[in-house]
Amino acid sequence: MKKIILVLTLVFAFTLYGCSASDDTFETKNINPYTRDTSSGTRDGFMNGIEFEEAATDNSLLGDNVTVSAGNNEILQSVKTDRYGIGYISLYSVTNEVKPVSFNGVEPSIENVVNESYALTRPFNYITRLDDDYASEIEKNMSEAFVAFMLSSEGADIINDNGAVSVTNNGYWDDLVANHPVCEGDNSHETINFGGSNSVEGIAKDLATAFSSRCGNVQTINNHTGSSDGFKRTQGDEKDGSNRVHIGFASRPFKDAEKVNGEEYYGALAQDAIVIIVNNENPLDALDADTTKKIFQGNYATWEDVLN
Amino acid sequence: MHNKRKIQDNLLKSLTIGAALMTASALFIVFYFVFTSGFSLLSFDLLVSDYKTEQYNTTLDDTIETTMFEEPEGNEAFFSQIYGISLKDAENKDAEAIIVIDYIAPESPFNTLKSINENETVNASEGGVITRISFENTSTALTREGAESMINKLDGGHTIREIIFVEPGGGIRGSIIATLYLIGLTLVMALPLGIFSAIYLNEFAKDTRLTRTIRSFIDTLTGIPSIVYGLMAVSVFIPLTARFNMASGLSIYAGAMTMTVILLPVLIRTTEESLASVPNDYREASLALGANDVQTTFKVVLPNAIAGLLTATFLSIGRIIGESAALIFVMGTAVRDSVYPSQGATTLAVHIWTLMSTEPANVELASTIALIILTIVLILNTTVKLLAKKFDKLGNR
Amino acid sequence: MNVVVKRLVFLSALLSASFIIIVVVFVILSGIKPFISDNEGLGPVSFIGFITRTIWLDGPTFVSNMYGAGYLIANTLYIAFLTLLVSLPLGVLTALFIAKIAGKRTGALLRSIVELLAAIPSIVYGLVGAGLFLPVIYNTALSFGIQTNGGNSTLAAVIVLTFMSIPTLTTISEVAIRNVDLSLEEASLALGTSKTQTHFNVVLPAAKSGIFSAAILAIGRALGEATAISLVAGNALSGPTFSLFNRTATLTTAMLQGMKETTGLDYDIRFSLGIVLIIVILITNFALNMLKKRVGKMHAQ
Repeated sequence: MKKIILVLTLVFAFTLYGCSASDDTFETKNINPYTRDTSSGTRDGFMNGIEFEEAATDNSLLGDNVTVSAGNNEILQSVKTDRYGIGYISLYSVTNEVKPVSFNGVEPSIENVVNESYALTRPFNYITRLDDDYASEIEKNMSEAFVAFMLSSEGADIINDNGAVSVTNNGYWDDLVANHPVCEGDNSHETINFGGSNSVEGIAKDLATAFSSRCGNVQTINNHTGSSDGFKRTQGDEKDGSNRVHIGFASRPFKDAEKVNGEEYYGALAQDAIVIIVNNENPLDALDADTTKKIFQGNYATWEDVLN
Repeated sequence: MHNKRKIQDNLLKSLTIGAALMTASALFIVFYFVFTSGFSLLSFDLLVSDYKTEQYNTTLDDTIETTMFEEPEGNEAFFSQIYGISLKDAENKDAEAIIVIDYIAPESPFNTLKSINENETVNASEGGVITRISFENTSTALTREGAESMINKLDGGHTIREIIFVEPGGGIRGSIIATLYLIGLTLVMALPLGIFSAIYLNEFAKDTRLTRTIRSFIDTLTGIPSIVYGLMAVSVFIPLTARFNMASGLSIYAGAMTMTVILLPVLIRTTEESLASVPNDYREASLALGANDVQTTFKVVLPNAIAGLLTATFLSIGRIIGESAALIFVMGTAVRDSVYPSQGATTLAVHIWTLMSTEPANVELASTIALIILTIVLILNTTVKLLAKKFDKLGNR
Repeated sequence: MNVVVKRLVFLSALLSASFIIIVVVFVILSGIKPFISDNEGLGPVSFIGFITRTIWLDGPTFVSNMYGAGYLIANTLYIAFLTLLVSLPLGVLTALFIAKIAGKRTGALLRSIVELLAAIPSIVYGLVGAGLFLPVIYNTALSFGIQTNGGNSTLAAVIVLTFMSIPTLTTISEVAIRNVDLSLEEASLALGTSKTQTHFNVVLPAAKSGIFSAAILAIGRALGEATAISLVAGNALSGPTFSLFNRTATLTTAMLQGMKETTGLDYDIRFSLGIVLIIVILITNFALNMLKKRVGKMHAQ
């Protein structure tokens, strides 16, 4: 009995030792940076924007205190609950639960994306499968119909409503649908798979819901795991695997290796801003590229280095 | 010295009682949490509706005469005089901005909207969520721009092209159907396999090395974590179903095969016990009357072990409903509205996992599903207990 | 006809027995691939490196093969033993209460409660953990000035596992306690010791071996639990985590993490984790069984 109490006390002491107690000022606290993983287009755009391109695909260049998260929402939740956290997410994911900071003197907003004064922007792009790479004729027709829908004015509305800036508008879907007779039948047995960039997931889901209601209630599955998977699962290594996708999205420009099959298979969808966020209680308001880079490199360990 | 003993005794005794109290409270904590988070969403509607969001694309019915409307008393939302509706800004469950209909005048044309695709009438109602309204000669009114802006555009005199409503979905019909499919398919495979194996082991097998090996191999199955079964299923059952053209990739068929393997040891053990509890007199009497051992087993012993078999079945159903790790691998995590056994789907337990592993986690809906699962488990458990009582009485006749 | 039926039941039994072999063989076949094949140009993963490294992946995905499960093994064992530390006393004392102290009615009630706890699916425990305990841990820790990642922590994992282990421990310990020869108890009472003294100095020690078996069973389940812990553990990409309040990861949560995302080496490596998990469970079972025998021998003297 006594032994049990002794052991429990030892364990408790041991584990308490592993955590640090704290005092109350913000400055002395450690910075907790959050980043996306290496397949993320958002990360790619962010690292390029702060002039830290090498770190886009290499975790070892980041500081030890940097946490890797799988998506926009995860970083949002982390920074929302972590007083000393800092991260970056897509403009349209920002809620009032976190605080956006201005970058290089410019506030992140749609206006500043449109007038090109905000520097941390990147494109949303889409990519499709090759013409002869569909499991059936219906799948192919439906994918083509989706692309047409996505680029129509309805698609543009959805993109804009999500806080990105649409760059295409090919007219009303009502006029375009005549080219896609597949949408007149009942398609509830068919499924279209979407994947790729996590930042485009919200837009992709809304596009999918809207498209389904206009094209025979086709079932849609959204499985967004990172921009690099956009190409991989439509035309790349994983295009025939269990995670195969019909339309992939990326939140960065396509690399040469991804454009290899020709222009008819990919295109631009929208422009989006990357916003640096901190916790609502953080006094920080503005950052520039150099300071941000040092934060993510691990050169600044506490908030003191940044706030002064 | 006596007192020290007494203090020590009382301390130990109170620790013991305390421990028992804590254990009992564990059950109440679980039920309390699941109930309070999940009860509000529980409704018949939830059980039968789709999971995915439903979009309604509508236009105004041109044949309706329009008049100007008067703003109702005490209206705090934004009011459209031309269409007689008022809209306000709100937030949905995921803390996203939405525009909600606050009031519709009885003669408002919004009461009889025409659905574009389906040629039917859609009634807008108070509380309904408008996603977008698109116009002929001006930009679309988006949710992002707010209710006031949408009302201004409505009253700006432009022709409306489309009014788009969205119904949030969140129903679990698909998961319920998938769970039922899984239970049915698994029992069809597992019951015969398990019962026959138990019959062999209890009635026909002799105590040879082979029998002992078979027994120990079956017993080892219980020690394996279910996630490892998931891994095995991906490398064995998924290719198997593909080979026989039953499915390609994730499927309920593969899920049923996986659950069969997981249930086998418990099924066999329970069946063996119930067979063993049938008194030998029955067997001897039957043999004495001239029946051979096979007939004896199937016509005399088995019927008398029915209670045990039912127990085994109910236990299996409970286990199937509760399984998550293995099914995540072999049936996938995509929630479906139309369920086919040759495709993947989510059972109720996996649906909870899907809801909890997105960010932000949908704790309310997950709790509602958990409430349903707990109720079923409660019923199954009580039934098994009652059966056990009956079983005992029969056995001790 | 008879012969056909007899053969059928024999084959059923044989098939049932063969599943364990199928499981082991196929998990090993898939799991061994990363260690012996070239992994499409990435080179084989070193087995020793895999079981000792403390970072999940050193370098970019699909480029590096430096996977490490060493810290996962440490975390898994640490959490399992912490759980046992907390749940064993709770379970044994509850069992003692039911078997010896409670009246017939209370005992039956408590026994039903424990049975019900055992029947609750693990995902529901994970849900309660994520929905109820995470905010509680987060807020409590914050009031002491300790920062947690939204409550995701070793502590949360231990609490959830404790809830899940108590039913098993209680049920089996109760059986063990009941099986203790009444004469031992009566003799002790006759000598003048109090009831409580008897319970703790005579009955419990006599039930040691049964309690030990309960512990072994409970640890097996704790080591293998996946979905419940993954909802509360956070997802630590390096470790090991000994602090109660930091995020952690176990072999099972690593297997579940990101299974939607991958093919190739990143996917196959999860099977390798499966092999490691089986080995860890086997070794733990073996070690504990040896310990049990040794304790049994000591006691018999």
